[in-house]
Amino acid sequence: MSVYTKARRIIWIRRAVQGLALFLFVYLLTANRPADGVAPTAPVTFFFDLNPLVTLSSWLSTHTFEGLSLLALLTVGVTLIFGRVFCGWFCPMGTLHNMVGSLRDQFRKVVPRKESYSKWQRAKYFVLVALLVMAAAGAQWTGVLDPFSLLYRSLALTVIPALDAGLSETANAVYLSDPHLGGLHFRDWTDPVYIWWKDHVTATELRVFSGSGLVFLVFIAALVANLYRNRFWCRYICPLGGLLGLISFRPLLRLTSDPAACNSCKKCTLACPAAAQPELPNEWLATECFGCWNCVGSCDNQGLDFKWFSPIKKSSEGSVDLGKRRLLAAGVSGVAGLAMLRVTPAAHGKTFESSLIRPPGALPERDFLQRCVRCGLCMQTCPSGGLQPTFAEAGLEGLWSPVLVPAIGWCEFNCHACGQVCPTGAIEPLDLPVKQKVKIGLAVIDSTRCLPYAYGRECIVCEEHCPVPDKAITFEYRDATQRDGSVRRLKFPRVDPDRCTGCGICETKCPFQDKAAIRVTSAGEDRHPENQPMLPAEAGGYYYEQDSQSDQSSDPYGYN
Amino acid sequence: MSGPTRREFLKTGALVAGGVILTRTGVFPEAVFGADAVPTLSVARWDEALLAEADLTQMAVKLTETAVANLGGLDRFVEKGHTVWIKPNIGWNRRPELAANTNPDVVGTLVRLCLEAGAKTVKVGDHPCHPARQCYRNSGITKAVEAEGGKMIYLDKKRFIDAEIGGEHLTTWPVYAEVTDADLVINVPVLKHHGLTGVSAAMKNYMGVIGGNRGSWHQNMDACLTDITAFMKPRITLLDAVRTLNDHGPQGGDPNDVSVRGVVAASTDIVALDALGVTLLGHAPADIKPIAAAEARGLGTADFASLNPVEQIVS
Repeated sequence: MSVYTKARRIIWIRRAVQGLALFLFVYLLTANRPADGVAPTAPVTFFFDLNPLVTLSSWLSTHTFEGLSLLALLTVGVTLIFGRVFCGWFCPMGTLHNMVGSLRDQFRKVVPRKESYSKWQRAKYFVLVALLVMAAAGAQWTGVLDPFSLLYRSLALTVIPALDAGLSETANAVYLSDPHLGGLHFRDWTDPVYIWWKDHVTATELRVFSGSGLVFLVFIAALVANLYRNRFWCRYICPLGGLLGLISFRPLLRLTSDPAACNSCKKCTLACPAAAQPELPNEWLATECFGCWNCVGSCDNQGLDFKWFSPIKKSSEGSVDLGKRRLLAAGVSGVAGLAMLRVTPAAHGKTFESSLIRPPGALPERDFLQRCVRCGLCMQTCPSGGLQPTFAEAGLEGLWSPVLVPAIGWCEFNCHACGQVCPTGAIEPLDLPVKQKVKIGLAVIDSTRCLPYAYGRECIVCEEHCPVPDKAITFEYRDATQRDGSVRRLKFPRVDPDRCTGCGICETKCPFQDKAAIRVTSAGEDRHPENQPMLPAEAGGYYYEQDSQSDQSSDPYGYN
Repeated sequence: MSGPTRREFLKTGALVAGGVILTRTGVFPEAVFGADAVPTLSVARWDEALLAEADLTQMAVKLTETAVANLGGLDRFVEKGHTVWIKPNIGWNRRPELAANTNPDVVGTLVRLCLEAGAKTVKVGDHPCHPARQCYRNSGITKAVEAEGGKMIYLDKKRFIDAEIGGEHLTTWPVYAEVTDADLVINVPVLKHHGLTGVSAAMKNYMGVIGGNRGSWHQNMDACLTDITAFMKPRITLLDAVRTLNDHGPQGGDPNDVSVRGVVAASTDIVALDALGVTLLGHAPADIKPIAAAEARGLGTADFASLNPVEQIVS
């Protein structure tokens, strides 16, 4: 078999693997939609378990070796042997870049000069160093640029909701206008598609996310950059690519080239998505190469091939010799970035943000932010759609971390999915009976809006929605004088701070839809001993310390 | 000839019939014309002595079958090829034992009876307070309905259409079109406590076919429930009191608030059915304001005993 034939075959296998990985990524994302039961059953964190960057930065930020994943070690092992094949063969973000890059070739003339190696490709190492320095000092911002977090967040919070909204608008418009030719109803075609989509891809309720514009902008910018340079993100920015580049300094499988066969046609340069210099014999850049085999397949003279242990000469440029000064600069940037994130009163416990209601099981704020990679798995799985990405509530340090916005949705009593799917343990996987007692905040009645207090009208909506079996909202009977002078005896709601968990359904369902007459504040949350307005009913510590004496099974309802 | 001509006879007859309908607006055909010929209220009770050790699935199935049969069977209401919408209470993400939702086996049996009576499609759906998928599943209703060949329908927030309610308080309100488009709607609530109205049963269950700001209804619940009931023109209603939620309704959550009563009732008179339910929970129908309001509106009678209910003990 000729080298050319072998390369063509391997390239097709690679494309199939890439397609499968991208499909699996999207499939696991949809499998993480609000579950029928109390949490998804599919291995929804698979891609994050494979990701050594998430593991490494979690170690650094938490100063523990928690969360070591064998799958992440597998990635490291494969990279040590084959180089950055993770980027070329597997990473679904890379595959999307590939697809956009292929589109570019249809519209733009690509010249070898632009596709050859640039020193700017070292930028990704500096990004990596800066992020890891920040992590080591305790500020986890890796998730903002980690490719899996970025892709998951972008798809779950922007792309799928946009498709969902579009499909919903279309199907509903067709349904409501019911255009038909005699007995031929258009809605008989649109509705099955719409119902399939709702059943298998999204949820029954349309869920959209605030501040998703910025998330989308970053995602689109990363994709559009491929029009400038093929796989711009992977070459210049990706911190995971940088980490894997460092690991693939001396892979076992290496590109060899036959100088005698080279006629300097530069076809391999154009074919290389990574600018790994296949065109310069013996100056191939192992740390940049994705192992995609495009160059081998592009060479008319069959002068290129991947072989075990072939010699690598130190190349004239492009090694991971980053220079002490540049590394220092990257480290300093990390510290500067950290300082910038930290100079807020909230970061030092001087103030508490009343709207910063974290999901149940979220660690105390500092520990939480050290683990959260802003991937969006918790938001994707939240059945009420109440978990939203922060924009300013948690400061810049907490950008896009999850916050419960009760005006949008509440924390469902019979659900503990967010903690079950969190890939880093920022939200603890609590058993359902434990989770049902965790306080994430406290409801506060606004008597200037509450109907019985302010208007002398009947309303019990907050109480009827309160999911606590013995009710955290109780009634006090009071007389309210009506405009004709008559007196009505009404039920005035009152929150019991010992029972209220801050789930927020009272706020979601309050007849006041603009600004509810009962609102949840973060005060009283179990995770912060300092943020407690009430003397505890029993001063016995917080739920995190309590053992769960639960009989939690995977199917507590018995209807699986 | 001294007698009325054929034309005069028809004219008088039409006027009388029209007069009856006009003066008793909201009283539905079966209740007016069928009172003597066919039963208007049937109650199936499980033998109280055997209540403790009964299998609740079997109980729910038998009680439903008996209550429907003693009302004259679904053939009275379902025609061949009909689309039937069954409207249980699936408002809450609670399991069946907590009695916040209609008993799944009552709903499943009803699906089967509809199909046996010739219905082409039986749709089951509610507008829950909690996420629909979890409510449908964890209430056990999805499983029971699909096993009998019914279709669970998830309501879409955008498909509530302003309907001309023409009531005393509500003139228009968004109602789910697919429900009102059905040939027959069978309302099948669970009997339970409610924090505002005292009892939640059949009329209250119609809050699951409406959209809009439902919470605002609580400011004038009696009028709103009466208006929506008149608009929905119920022909047959079932009441599930296999288990009842006796406190902390309508959502409950504490098994200690639930008791097994072993009763399923069916009626063409929704007010009588609600009054029966209220009595089961130990209240007087006159004390429950929506029932009094509905009776005053002429939607039915709270004196359910006057309908000569067909009662049967089942075991």
